[in-house]
Amino acid sequence: MAQSLRPDFRGTPRKIWQTLSSIKTGVVLIILVVIFSIAGTVILQRPMTDTDDMQRAYSPAMLRFLDATGLTDIFHTYWFIALLVLVSLCIVAASIQRFPNSWRYFARPYKSPDEGFRKVLPTQAQIPITDDEQGLSAAERAFKHLHLKTERIVRTDSFSLFSERNRISEMAVYIVHASLLLIFIGYGVVDALYGWRGFLVLSPGNASNQIEMKDGAKRTIPFAIRCDGTGEETYADGSPKRWWSKLAVVESGREMSRKEIVVNDPLVYQGVRFYQASYGRTGKLDQIILNAAPANGTGTAQEISLAMNQTVALDADTSVQLVEFIPDFVVQDGRVYARSNDVANPAVHMIVTSKKAKSSVNVWLPQMPGIDENASSPYTFDPKDLKTGLYTGLQVSHEPGQWAIWAGVVLMAIGLTFVFYVVHTRFWVVPVVDARGRTALWVGGTANRNRDAFEVKFKNVVEQIQKELKPEPANAEAQAEKISGTTIAGR
Amino acid sequence: MARAKVEQHPATGTTLVVMVGLGMAFLLFMSFLNVVKSGNILSEANLLFAALVFYAGAGALYLGFGVTGTDAYIKFASLMTWAGLLANTGAVAHRWYEAGHPPFASIYEMLLSFVWTLAALTLIAEKKYGVKVIGTVTMPVAIVGVILMQLLPSEVRPLVPALQSTWLHVHVTLAMLAYAACALSFALAMMFLIQDKVKTEMFLAATSIFTVGIYAAVLTRFERGGFNVIAWDAENKSEVFISRGVRLFVTIPDLGWLMLLVFAAVAAPLVLYILARVKKDEGFLAVADRAVFISILLQSMALVFFLLRVRGGQYPSLDAEGLYATSLAASPFILAALVGGIFANLLYLLLLWRRADLERLLPDADALDRITYKTICIAFPLLTLMIAAGAYWANRAWGSYWNWDPKETWAAITWLVYAGYLHMRITRGWRGRRAAYFAILGFAVVMFTFFGVTYLLPGLHAYA
Repeated sequence: MAQSLRPDFRGTPRKIWQTLSSIKTGVVLIILVVIFSIAGTVILQRPMTDTDDMQRAYSPAMLRFLDATGLTDIFHTYWFIALLVLVSLCIVAASIQRFPNSWRYFARPYKSPDEGFRKVLPTQAQIPITDDEQGLSAAERAFKHLHLKTERIVRTDSFSLFSERNRISEMAVYIVHASLLLIFIGYGVVDALYGWRGFLVLSPGNASNQIEMKDGAKRTIPFAIRCDGTGEETYADGSPKRWWSKLAVVESGREMSRKEIVVNDPLVYQGVRFYQASYGRTGKLDQIILNAAPANGTGTAQEISLAMNQTVALDADTSVQLVEFIPDFVVQDGRVYARSNDVANPAVHMIVTSKKAKSSVNVWLPQMPGIDENASSPYTFDPKDLKTGLYTGLQVSHEPGQWAIWAGVVLMAIGLTFVFYVVHTRFWVVPVVDARGRTALWVGGTANRNRDAFEVKFKNVVEQIQKELKPEPANAEAQAEKISGTTIAGR
Repeated sequence: MARAKVEQHPATGTTLVVMVGLGMAFLLFMSFLNVVKSGNILSEANLLFAALVFYAGAGALYLGFGVTGTDAYIKFASLMTWAGLLANTGAVAHRWYEAGHPPFASIYEMLLSFVWTLAALTLIAEKKYGVKVIGTVTMPVAIVGVILMQLLPSEVRPLVPALQSTWLHVHVTLAMLAYAACALSFALAMMFLIQDKVKTEMFLAATSIFTVGIYAAVLTRFERGGFNVIAWDAENKSEVFISRGVRLFVTIPDLGWLMLLVFAAVAAPLVLYILARVKKDEGFLAVADRAVFISILLQSMALVFFLLRVRGGQYPSLDAEGLYATSLAASPFILAALVGGIFANLLYLLLLWRRADLERLLPDADALDRITYKTICIAFPLLTLMIAAGAYWANRAWGSYWNWDPKETWAAITWLVYAGYLHMRITRGWRGRRAAYFAILGFAVVMFTFFGVTYLLPGLHAYA
């Protein structure tokens, strides 16, 4: 039955199958994976390095060569992926190749040892007894005392005792291999085909459903994310303590969900995850606070607050409008330009209008000789505070394969626990007639790992059986005649 | 120091114990006077100092035991290790309480936990497996660790947002346990090789390759005869950065030549060993042993010069105008490498002189082989879980569970190497020497993942 699991090939396919399922191939493949992985950590990789840094590190010819061979992005080249696929195939083949044996072993435990087996089993002992039945029941009591279950095996020509524990341990290695495949499938198949990653920048009050992908393309998701606020908290020494964003999910005009996300605590909606990745200030003005005082010195100064294009009345006749904000200005040929979007050297442009005089005056802060008309303004302005807009940078990812991965990890943990710490132990007790014609109890045992600890356990079993036999006066002088090996046990 | 003493009065038994005891009593008394003055007994610094004193005492006695085999030393050495571990536990607890998180967040805190784990494992290996000499190896490492801690910035730093996660603690605890188990398997494999009668010259080759590797790595900082180290801002207690993530290097003049000279000196035994193998002339090996001795002297000199020049003075930089100071705290890995090189060569000399004693003191080869395998059986699941916890955490913090970042890739490589070991052992029945070599290779990869990746390769995993 189990035999049919093994494919029956002939000729070349058979050879391929044999190569694929051999442990040697596995080791060679692992070594190749290791070598290419090392190369991938030593050679700068495109996905993680700025283009400038790449050009600085390698000569143009070298870079062309590295790019052509895929060495600058090893982990995403088809040949590295092919290598991983080959490793997976190798695991599958090796498992299939070995599985029938293990399965037979698992499904049809060897309960009644024959003479040949009894002869070669390394861990065994013989205890003289007077009567088969009395010997076996003593053994049963002994196993019970040691909390081991026993089973009486009755065959046409013999009857004996069999006791085993943790047979599942024989299958553990397949659990580990299956878990590894599950992880590969989650990463290499599901996420490679259906997963994606991108970035979304939002400023408070805005919503978007356009995710910018790494290659610059836009991806539209079926719902929009609105940012209701973002901010930063710092420690006393100024280092960042917390970045947060209040996000809301909007689907066809309705708000479906809300969450304040922080680093390490993303928003998840329909399998798409939004992570707090960056935070900062845009080059756009949010609000400026100014002290406005009449230029002629009469009257009192007032504090006003202006947003972009907002007009504020200063008195019954005069009003001021904010028309321009330049985060990082530079003056050239009588004009004001923005050098960058960093708020490094800001300038604001306001228009002060007087209805009565029907005049508009351009006011610049700071003053721009030749451009501003600050001198003719009825008010002077003194900047107090400048608030530029905030933005929050969200890493967006969709990784449906991750569930296969976490399941694989749990499965692997279970499998490894069984592989390393759960020992399949078996004991057989058979009444035999020894070389000198006396009746004796043959006791044998094996364990599939940790054999030195098993030796101790075996000794305990033998001693316990002897103890159970002792009350019978006939066996008082009985001495265990122990033949015991120390190394490999025969299956 | 302790060795020199014992060499002159071999196996007098109590002499070393008394001397170490007196020395420690003196040190503790002196520091007690200081403590009384400052009125603060249970501070972290004091606890660490006490731990250092106890570890140093234990180290001297373990070394004495390694050299003479006097059983009485071991009892006292164990006692001192216990005392040191107690003080160390106090320091860890104090730190934990002060910082409000387990001590895993900076190099200083990692070292604190690492030394603690090392001392605990030493006691376990000694009591449970009867590997008594292991303290000879682990205690000096612990001492270097505590000394290094004195140099590193130790104030409690608040956690940056990415590190504010329970998964940090899970991930790092697993990493520490896994790496400590790997270290133990390495030490056991080494002892197996000693017990398995591997020729002493094999160890000569191994230690020489190790130190040559160290100096090759150190020489990556060679700059026109000078030696590049990271500039240190004493006021802020941090490295100087030119821009985000780019550290400022300063060049200590002429130190590079010295390092080059030492490189030649540590390469000499290896060259002689190869000559001996090629020409089949044992005479070269005797010369090689002497060359090891000379290389230790030169290495010590390099260490002293490094210490002196790094601690005082200001140096120019290629990337910025003016002179900048540096500090040992800015170059913990170089310091660790220099000390490690000397230490490896000293271990070789110990083996050379006292091989017979060591063989008598160690458990038999079969037992060592089995224990090595068992420690790897513990290390491998821990490695697996460590990688999984790291992936899960990365998924929560950065939105991707696997990035092929160098640290991740090397963790995977480590995992593969040990997976290879297990397959060879279980299906191919590899035992003994081949398995021991594999265990040593595995640990070398672990060390590279732990230190080398941070120090030599670029990457995201910038915390440790």
